[in-house]
Amino acid sequence: MTAIRRTNQRLKGWSGWMLLVIALVGVVSVSTARDRGPQTQQERIESIAARLACPTCDGESVEVSRAPAAVAIRNEIARQVATGLSSDDQIIASIEQSYGGQVLLVPRADGLDALVWVLPVTAAVLALASLAVAFRRWRRQSDAYPEPTDADRELVAEALVRRRHGEGDGGDGT
Amino acid sequence: MAALGVGVVIVALLWILVQAEPGDSTSADSPLLGRPAPAVLSTTTDDQPFDLGRRKGSWVLLNFFNSTCVPCVREHPELVEFHARQVGSPDPVELYTVIWDDREASVEAWFEVNGGDWPRVRDPDGAVGVAFGVARVPESWIIDPNGFVRLRILGEVTADFLDERLLGLRTPS
Repeated sequence: MTAIRRTNQRLKGWSGWMLLVIALVGVVSVSTARDRGPQTQQERIESIAARLACPTCDGESVEVSRAPAAVAIRNEIARQVATGLSSDDQIIASIEQSYGGQVLLVPRADGLDALVWVLPVTAAVLALASLAVAFRRWRRQSDAYPEPTDADRELVAEALVRRRHGEGDGGDGT
Repeated sequence: MAALGVGVVIVALLWILVQAEPGDSTSADSPLLGRPAPAVLSTTTDDQPFDLGRRKGSWVLLNFFNSTCVPCVREHPELVEFHARQVGSPDPVELYTVIWDDREASVEAWFEVNGGDWPRVRDPDGAVGVAFGVARVPESWIIDPNGFVRLRILGEVTADFLDERLLGLRTPS
């Protein structure tokens, strides 16, 4: 009985959750580290094109779209990649300068766009804070019950014996 | 605590919705407006060099065109009329058609039949279109004599509309 209670307390405590968070961060870090980025010019073109939205189609990237505007943007990316003078971000910035911010599939982290990043983090922090409050409340409720004494245990054992005898006699077991 | 968080998120989302501009397909907004026009180097279909930077000193109208696009075909007589009005004007606007996602031969054949003796600018890989952020045609751009982008027009234009807008742009406010 005490062991079960201890297990429950451990689960409701911070350590288990902290281990889970550490494991998740570890998995994400390893997966990110394994992505070595584009290796060839073609891969670089595709990687940049995948970060841009086709200006005339809904939900398609420049990489996959066959719309004339998307094809023209892919050509422009290829031209800039071939010159080797601009970084990926600079190429994307040059396209954004012509088409505006709506051409970005991944919003920037400044201005109003920053809300896209800030809101989920805020929601996560609020959720964690709510969990912390809930855990504390559960622990307080659990501490309100004292440890069972020997007298309590004897009482339970006697009740069990009575119940077993009652069942054996064909009683209703109450 | 949780209720406060949800409330904050809802208020933030409502604020974004209120601040958002309506999605109007005819909007002529562009990050290029008021800025120097993109550097455009190409050639015309009569093999003359075209350098937009060297057009400074004149008002320039760039019209992105495709001979299979119905609105482009529909607006063409208006451009012919607009171009005719520039002849004899003290400060004529230079009109250029930029071939957008079309074969040069098709455009030349189309102009041969339907008129229009202003230069056609080649854009085989779409670089000019991308420099101006063109997504659909017809689309027209007005560049002032200092080389600054002054107006973007999505969709069909008329000669009167162009005259009116140019008059407004030429008149100092």
